[in-house]
Amino acid sequence: MIGKSPLLAAFLLLLAVSSEVSADGLVNEEVKRTVDLSTHLAKITAEIVLSNQGHSAVQSFMLAVEADLAPHLAYIGASVSQTLVKETADHFCLGQFYKVQLPSTLAAGAQLKAKVEMTFSHVLKPFPTQITQAERQLVVFQGNHYLYSPYPTRSQTTRVRLASKTVESYTKLGNPSKNDEIVEYGPFRDVAPFSEDTMKIHYENNTPFLTISSITRTIEVSHWGNIAVEETIDLRHTGAVLKGPFSRYDYQRQSDSGISSVKSFKTILPASAQDVYYRDEIGNISTSHLQVLDDSVEVEVRPRFPLFGGWKTHYMIGYNLPSYEYLYTLGDQYALKMRLVDHVYDDQVIDSLTVKIILPEGARNIHVDTPYRIDRMPNQLHYTYLDTFGRPVLVATKNNLVEHHIQDVVVHYNFNKILMLQEPLLVVGAFYILFFTVIIYVRLDFAITKDPAAEVRMKVASITEQVLTLVNKRLGLYRHMDEVVNRYKQSRDTGALNSGRKTLEADHRTLTNEISSLQARLKAEGSDLADKVGEVQKLDGQVKELVCRSCQEAERLVAGKVKKEAYIESEKTLTSKRQELVSRIDSLLDAL
Amino acid sequence: MAEHHPVSDSKHKSSLNSGASYSGNGRSSTAVAERGSNAGAGGGGLSGGLSQPAGWQSLLSFTILFLAWLAGFSSRLFAVIRFESIIHEFDPWFNYRSTHHLTTNGFYEFLNWFDERAWYPLGRIVGGTVYPGLMVTAGLIHYVLNLLHITVHIRDVCVFLAPVFSGLTSISTFLLTKELWNQGAGLLAACFIAIVPGYISRSVAGSFDNEGIAIFALQFTYYLWVKSVKTGSVFWTIGCCLSYFYMVSAWGGYVFIINLIPLHVFVLLLMQRFSRRVYIAYSTFYIIGLVLSMQIPFVGFQPIRTSEHMAAAGVFVLLQVYAFLQYLKDRLTRQEFQTLFFLGVSVAAGVVFLSVIYLTYTGCYAKIHIPIIASVSEHQPTTWVSFFFDLHILVCTFPAGLWFCIKNINDERVFVALYAISAVYFAGVMVRLMLTLTPVVCMLSAVAFSSVFEHYLGDDMKRQSPPAEDSSDEDDRKNAGNLYDKAGKVRKHVSEQEKAEEGLGPNIKSIVTMLMLMLLMMFAVHCTWVTSNAYSSPSVVLASYNHDGSRNILDDFREAYYWLRQNTDEHARVMSWWDYGYQIAGMANRTTLVDNNTWNNSHIALVGKAMSSNETAAYEIMRSLDVDYVLIIFGGVIGYSGDDINKFLWMVRIAEGEHPRDIRESDYFTPQGEFRVDKAGSPTLLNCLMYKMSYYRFGEMQLDFRTPPGFDRTRNAEIGNKDIKLKHLEEAFTSEHWLVRIYKVKKLENRDRVEHKLRSTDATKQKYTTKKVSWDFKHWTV
Repeated sequence: MIGKSPLLAAFLLLLAVSSEVSADGLVNEEVKRTVDLSTHLAKITAEIVLSNQGHSAVQSFMLAVEADLAPHLAYIGASVSQTLVKETADHFCLGQFYKVQLPSTLAAGAQLKAKVEMTFSHVLKPFPTQITQAERQLVVFQGNHYLYSPYPTRSQTTRVRLASKTVESYTKLGNPSKNDEIVEYGPFRDVAPFSEDTMKIHYENNTPFLTISSITRTIEVSHWGNIAVEETIDLRHTGAVLKGPFSRYDYQRQSDSGISSVKSFKTILPASAQDVYYRDEIGNISTSHLQVLDDSVEVEVRPRFPLFGGWKTHYMIGYNLPSYEYLYTLGDQYALKMRLVDHVYDDQVIDSLTVKIILPEGARNIHVDTPYRIDRMPNQLHYTYLDTFGRPVLVATKNNLVEHHIQDVVVHYNFNKILMLQEPLLVVGAFYILFFTVIIYVRLDFAITKDPAAEVRMKVASITEQVLTLVNKRLGLYRHMDEVVNRYKQSRDTGALNSGRKTLEADHRTLTNEISSLQARLKAEGSDLADKVGEVQKLDGQVKELVCRSCQEAERLVAGKVKKEAYIESEKTLTSKRQELVSRIDSLLDAL
Repeated sequence: MAEHHPVSDSKHKSSLNSGASYSGNGRSSTAVAERGSNAGAGGGGLSGGLSQPAGWQSLLSFTILFLAWLAGFSSRLFAVIRFESIIHEFDPWFNYRSTHHLTTNGFYEFLNWFDERAWYPLGRIVGGTVYPGLMVTAGLIHYVLNLLHITVHIRDVCVFLAPVFSGLTSISTFLLTKELWNQGAGLLAACFIAIVPGYISRSVAGSFDNEGIAIFALQFTYYLWVKSVKTGSVFWTIGCCLSYFYMVSAWGGYVFIINLIPLHVFVLLLMQRFSRRVYIAYSTFYIIGLVLSMQIPFVGFQPIRTSEHMAAAGVFVLLQVYAFLQYLKDRLTRQEFQTLFFLGVSVAAGVVFLSVIYLTYTGCYAKIHIPIIASVSEHQPTTWVSFFFDLHILVCTFPAGLWFCIKNINDERVFVALYAISAVYFAGVMVRLMLTLTPVVCMLSAVAFSSVFEHYLGDDMKRQSPPAEDSSDEDDRKNAGNLYDKAGKVRKHVSEQEKAEEGLGPNIKSIVTMLMLMLLMMFAVHCTWVTSNAYSSPSVVLASYNHDGSRNILDDFREAYYWLRQNTDEHARVMSWWDYGYQIAGMANRTTLVDNNTWNNSHIALVGKAMSSNETAAYEIMRSLDVDYVLIIFGGVIGYSGDDINKFLWMVRIAEGEHPRDIRESDYFTPQGEFRVDKAGSPTLLNCLMYKMSYYRFGEMQLDFRTPPGFDRTRNAEIGNKDIKLKHLEEAFTSEHWLVRIYKVKKLENRDRVEHKLRSTDATKQKYTTKKVSWDFKHWTV
């Protein structure tokens, strides 16, 4: 199956590392390979017993991937013995070779158990490539019967797990046994290094062949306590393409109609996710359900329509997280620890990922620790509410990701806490300017032409105001005088009465003078209110007379010149007269 | 005070010692009371606007207007709260799409936009066939917000534009009513227009339509017009022209303004109320307004060409002649000749004016008889019920307000009376024009309520009326040469009211007041109820309620449109009835054949013909129009009555209008003249494309156990043709509740056969290809 040139290339690459490999003298003693094809991914695990038959101790060993599978390799990882130290080998990539650094050296003649995990995406090809709604989906897998390794293998078995019992055909190397969903090959003895023998399995697989053709994950950090996450997802069903009509009737009435289509799937969000939304360009997608569990939030994402082979959809899902769970701080230093990519659906395949991390405005000395290699793009600036010079945005992309890539990224940066005040101050400043402008506008006159009438009116208004206060004050004087008279009636202290009368006279004169000067000014402005004020003055004179008379009456009473009854009588008439006058003054004042 | 004195004195008499303290208390309490009354008087003086113009009164009116804005805004949010922030119905989707185009591509690109996705294969010059005011407003708000780094999505700007503008409408209504009557009536009018259903129906959140901003522009233009007639200042007139320009850019209803204002001027002339102010205002308005309105590409040269605008020109000429005659009158002495001449001219001009108006509106009527216009539900005549439904108590009180205005007539009240009468007429003709009636009803009802309250509301009436009188006096004094006397009227009011008070007593007064308040309360309740139940459905998303009150959302429209958007070729052409054109363009982003901008009747008729022909004939039409998909709405499963089968007769009628030889409406009826989809239906109907597409495989479907399979819930009938086979179409997508069904038009199946025959002999192949070409050609010439 493999063309000549890739083989040659592999050989050349082999030469490049041959010195290292040959020096090792490593041998795969026993290999148990499991090829899991039950989903739309090919997950190959190999448990290898590795022995060092060379003369020197080794620090590392090599893993190899077949040339035609290598482009589809999404993840490769190795763990050694019981130590759970996982060595993701991406960093040592040499073509399709990966070097695993051992935690401790492997002495000559010693043995070691290693477990290698590889995940391949898009290696299960639907065949036939187009099916109708009623048909089931068949796929073909092409792989290797043997472990592809730079070292000779003493003994190996390969076990293939399929998605269903229905198998159209499979290669029969070494008389494999088939039991339900499992096909077992081997054991094969003494396999040479780099041996390949095509394994081809054609079987029924109705698991959802969903592929995220692109996802943009935006993480927006706010120091006010919130981290907003939004994922924009392009989803495609990459299984066999639907041929012919889509019948809703069949889909609703027959349970096995469109069995390979995808109705819904579950997305697991962090436990503290809040305000989850699920929408697209034309609005909310109302067919989803949200379930809050103890350790996570599950969203049942149901696209607007069931996804058949070849159909695609596009949506956004977003939520808020409290920042105290993900943001760590020490003085001015901050560290954000979040998942670089999160769960979308089980056994997810992401063709292209773009991560954007929006840091607060003013973040400096940004430094990123990624769990695996990822392509950084130049930083961008993002402007949103109340920003002035923009928030730094870190952009990174990576292709071909699977579930194993759900790992944390750490972003370190410095942020001056004073900058937190910037936004509130901005708002305060804006309101200040607004109110100030209103004040300026109301207080100042911007008219080009002068309106003399309006000015006169304003002047008159202010004068009337003054008149009002003065008249009220004058009325207050009479009240004060009443009190003085009462006190006099009790104490019979003529001196106090006289002094009180004197102060009344003096105050009254000044007030009356002031009012009449104001009246004159009103007259000068040509207002008819001057007459009214004059009337008030006249009435006031009468009031004053009455007050004086009541004062005299009281004196006479105290002196015993009048009887009590007569005094009360006269007092009554005086009061009622006064009352009348005061109310007339009041009504005049109201009219002012 | 009169009581206090004796009491204190008697105390003093009985026991001098203790009485002192008592009397002291008595005095101080009177003093306090007196001071209080003085303060009250001071307050009265303040609100009178004499001592401090920007005082309590302006604070109060500011607060009331602000609250009216808030109430109007929030009562329009039912749809957003119940569903989501989404664009409603049909036309708003186009407006949204073009606003989106404007914000992404810039203003000039928008003006020059040729939309090749509409009216395939004709296309549409959007920039020149649209009133750009709405899009530009939304785009401008979006631009300013983004400039301030307030990152609001253009969709949200569009959704909330109409509620925000309703606040502006209530403010301009306040200003206009204040000019016409007084501030109190203005505030009432502002509150009315904020919540009245007749206006809410076009301005709920999400209904991003021209009317949403046009009513504001209309009211504001009228306010500025009244202001310019009152002052005769060029400043206000220029403001009026700018506002008119905005209105022209926003809505085709500007024709209402350009006819009403000349009518106002004309009637003022007839009433001998001509003055320099009117002359300045109208001359300036006509010239500048004309020039500005011609700047809108869609309007272009219409203002000097079409009959709708001729009345304005006629009045302009008349006004010039009249002014000239006035001038001559000052110079010449032969009075009798002058008056005779004037009479002759005015009568002639009146005849011309009326005939022009008559021609205009008879022209409108002629248009109405085209079936495509008649098929739109909002072009139906208004029923009495919908008057009450949309205006509630206001429809009863507004004649009273009109009567008040006519009773105390002046220049601007002539205007509002004409506004009211013409708006009532137009609202009676078309449901849609209810919208222009609503503001004037609010204003006049506010006048009526305000006058009634002035009569009946409490004792403070006495204290309130003199200041009001003062302020109106001032207003009058400002505009020199007023022919009317408002002050006199108010004085009469006072005396009337005093008489009434004496006659009726406080009980009657409070009963009337309570009654009025009850009416207003019921009005508010009704408004909320109508808004919530009738006008707050996006109609893109449907909701049904279960017995336990939980809600099911039927999102079939968006399901199907989104399927089209995601899973069809980017340039696929979708045929559907024109109702769904804008939605397909907006939500599915696919090319449509016809849409809600029904400018090409024959194209629509062609689609109608395809829908009402049998499959083979329809296939020919669809091939000739390059149709890839056909989209129909089918409500038979869930009982949705606005589906295509119910609209089908209109398709037939419109098709018949253009193709009377192929389509006849009578063919679709039973011999008894009924339109039935069951076995008794006419065979033409049971075999037409629309029927087949609607009921394809529906005959197998049993919805519940009480009904036979293929039972249509909308029309309550078992369908007549259950065995439907499609030859040239195949089902491409059907939404969850079958509401939207999309069919794919198959390509001609001939390639395989050609290859097959090619192997047998060479000669046949030759013959076949030539035949094929000619056949294809024939199709293209159809």
